[in-house]
Amino acid sequence: MSKESAFSRKGIRRGVLWLALAALWMLPAEALAQKNSPDIPVVSTVTAIQNARIVQAPGQVIESGTVVFRDGVITAVGRRADIPYDAHVIDAGDSLTVYAGLIDALSHVGIPEPRNQGQPESVPDRSNPPFERAGITPEASARAALDPEDDAVEAMRKAGFTAALVAPRGRMLPGQATLALLAGTDASEMVLQGAEPMFFQFQGAQGVYPGTPMGVMSKFRQLYREASRRMQLEAMYADDPSGLSKPPFDQVHEAFFPVISGDRPVAIWTDEVLEIHRAMKLQEELGFSMMLFGLEGGFDTVDKVAASGVPVALTLDLPDKPRWAAKVEADSLQQVLDAYDDETRTATFRDVEAEQRNLESRQLWSRARYVGMAAAYEEAGVPFAFASMGADAGDIHANIREMIGEGLPSDAALAALTTNAASMLGVADRMGTVQTGMMANLLVTDGNLFDEDTRITMTFVNGHMFEAPASEGRRGGNSPSDR
Amino acid sequence: MKYTFLMALLVVASFGQTTSAQDVLIRNATVLTVTGGTLEDSDVLITNGIIAEIGSDLRAPRGVEEVDATGKFVMPGIIDAHAHIALSSINEGSSPVTAEVSMEDVTNPYHLGIYRASAGGVTVSHTMHGSANVIGGQNETIKHRWGATDPDAIRFEGAPRTIKFALGENPTRVHGRRGSGGTGAIVPATRMGVEQVLRSAFENGKRYMEAWDAYNTEMKTNPRAVPPVWNERLEVMADILRGEILVHCHSYRADEIVMLTRVLKDYGVDKITFQHANEAFKVAPELAAYGAHASVFSDWWSYKFEVYYSTAYNAAILTRNGVITSINSDSGELNRHLYHEAAKSQRYGGLTDDEALALITINPAIQLGIQDRVGSIEIGKDGDVAIFEGHPLSIYAIPVLTYVDGVKVFDRESDADDMRVDVDPTSEVGMYEGQITGRDHYHGHDEVVDMMRFFQSVADTDLH
Repeated sequence: MSKESAFSRKGIRRGVLWLALAALWMLPAEALAQKNSPDIPVVSTVTAIQNARIVQAPGQVIESGTVVFRDGVITAVGRRADIPYDAHVIDAGDSLTVYAGLIDALSHVGIPEPRNQGQPESVPDRSNPPFERAGITPEASARAALDPEDDAVEAMRKAGFTAALVAPRGRMLPGQATLALLAGTDASEMVLQGAEPMFFQFQGAQGVYPGTPMGVMSKFRQLYREASRRMQLEAMYADDPSGLSKPPFDQVHEAFFPVISGDRPVAIWTDEVLEIHRAMKLQEELGFSMMLFGLEGGFDTVDKVAASGVPVALTLDLPDKPRWAAKVEADSLQQVLDAYDDETRTATFRDVEAEQRNLESRQLWSRARYVGMAAAYEEAGVPFAFASMGADAGDIHANIREMIGEGLPSDAALAALTTNAASMLGVADRMGTVQTGMMANLLVTDGNLFDEDTRITMTFVNGHMFEAPASEGRRGGNSPSDR
Repeated sequence: MKYTFLMALLVVASFGQTTSAQDVLIRNATVLTVTGGTLEDSDVLITNGIIAEIGSDLRAPRGVEEVDATGKFVMPGIIDAHAHIALSSINEGSSPVTAEVSMEDVTNPYHLGIYRASAGGVTVSHTMHGSANVIGGQNETIKHRWGATDPDAIRFEGAPRTIKFALGENPTRVHGRRGSGGTGAIVPATRMGVEQVLRSAFENGKRYMEAWDAYNTEMKTNPRAVPPVWNERLEVMADILRGEILVHCHSYRADEIVMLTRVLKDYGVDKITFQHANEAFKVAPELAAYGAHASVFSDWWSYKFEVYYSTAYNAAILTRNGVITSINSDSGELNRHLYHEAAKSQRYGGLTDDEALALITINPAIQLGIQDRVGSIEIGKDGDVAIFEGHPLSIYAIPVLTYVDGVKVFDRESDADDMRVDVDPTSEVGMYEGQITGRDHYHGHDEVVDMMRFFQSVADTDLH
């Protein structure tokens, strides 16, 4: 540290900046973002973090260095980097680590859950409901529904996430997902240009057609094939309308046009293994470009997914432990596991307890397969991202630690949350690493990101700082043994 | 806590039966071929999943496993022409016609019902859409390759497409009694309405087919020909009219059975199997004349009004009248003792052993269009066999070994308590389907919630 007097010019400047910075920390996000208003003086848009351990990318580490970013863009990274005169300087004191901000490959973050939905309205003909009642609004966009005030935005930021592919809520075809920053004063500040896949899930409508997974499959084929026909008609009509009836039009079918022409992928959420097979079947039949998300229970589909080359993002959720196991200490759980006997043949009426114990043991083995799924994909050489949809923000890091415990290398976990996610979403040129020219999405920790007692102390989204109050527990999550 | 590797071993060792074709030589059995009589003290050699030789003192090729079946009976793998196992949803009950949906899309190879059925000597199931709709979805014929995890791995490759129709009380109740005092009711509310729904669907399918045929002809000369509106549902109706899909129709009463033959005749559809068909014995000559088949229960009836007029002689009367008849289960319990069900028709109707066994082997194979591959023990057919202690038509029969494509899928000697392939990691032991207590219809959580909401709304409105 410099020994210069606090009253030297540099010292004063630095003192003022620290004060300003301290003031900034206390401001809520919306005040921060008002810096562009002509009424409020701009303090500074430059930040430098010095004496930090910098993980530029998985496996690529500067043990002690400086990161500088201005106006949301990283301008310098290195063991030595010039600190601009007008920078807020954060001295990491060789105790903090800077990582690229985490990227959530699919989520509803920023889209508040609608309240009091109640009974869906009844329709005159259940077999032929209006598109919206059937959960079919592919023309809609998550962009219009983004709300930075959604509690999940802050919760995910605290977990180190700075950007996400956000899907609209709904049923079968809720609309287009959008890439979003996890901070901003309004929807438009959150929106990032980039991937806007059509979001699709095997979620039937309530009480109307299509109500089952098989109905959803059929409806998707119907929409896709009729849209293909309409595209053909539109092309003919544009070429020469003479003698042709006006092609039929509606927004739903039109929303399929870019999918059919290959310009927009379909992002499919799968939350059980059979849905993975269904998604791949639809893709094979219709030939659209597909991204697969979730894949819960997909430990049996590793080879099939690897062979397909489909981009995937695995769920960050893990099955809850059954109630009986939540009460058992970790050491005893291992004993339960070791006791498993796959040849047990007990007459149930003779010894229910023995049978029950064996079934419980098997259940733990089963859960371990879910926990080990990411490691299995890693081992098969499938590059994957992670998606938080369906997971509690507070559980995410505990879940990742469990996956690492089941053999997932921590660099692979980090890659899934940064570089792989950026590649999958087509933004690897601006996100996912700590490098000059990249967007200033960063997180700062007081240790290795995936260690249990590590705290995320700051998150930067597009250069804006969010600090976790010192009093707050690590990530507020439950430890896995509580679950 | 690195037990991933150990666990992978465990899974391979105990649950992951290989699903590739295998070889086995079954020695010294009484072979019930069904189509070629009964062979005493005979051997059956299965190589690469196909029955290669039948005879005595066969030489086992090097390395082929031998099974001593002295004193035991070998019969063709049993075929269940009506099942709802191995499916993740059953009814797309939102419309009276849903020809476009298919059980192919919801095949669930993890379902324990597959193993349980194989424990009863069943090797093939016709997994069907439910009976909520007049024209329900297409069905899927599966092989009981227990241990497979990819839905494609259990499909009966090359089996013809089939579709579920339903007459009578189920579709009229689901669609014609909807809403408070029937205010949400749509056609069909009566058996007349059922016929009308059928005729409309066929008529629309016919027009659709004609429109596409006309387009396909026109486009050869006119590049600006306009293709008709795409319709997945009518595509399937057109395929039925083209004879590419076998019809399997849920039915009970004689009048509605005859009604459907008349409708099908008008549209030139001749491949029809009447499912349940408790009153089919009343119109057995008419069915034989049409070439229609029947797939019935041995003695299951009186579970609703239209199923009271029934007899345990049904299968025998139909058989004696020349109707290809099978006995099915429609149940994840009954499918484990179809050999008993066949035996009942012998007890009541006096069928011969071969006639009774045909009810659960070659006859359902014919009804599913797979008789060239399965349904009897013949050289060149698939290596699907069941080995019994005691004659399978005896009340003392015990299935001991079941093979699919030459692969052992059930062995009474190694039938552990827990034969599941997948295990729910969260739910309480004993509370979830497939654990201790088994349920055959699996419904996803959202589906259950939706269903409960739907039935709640129906109940609320009906009370007012």
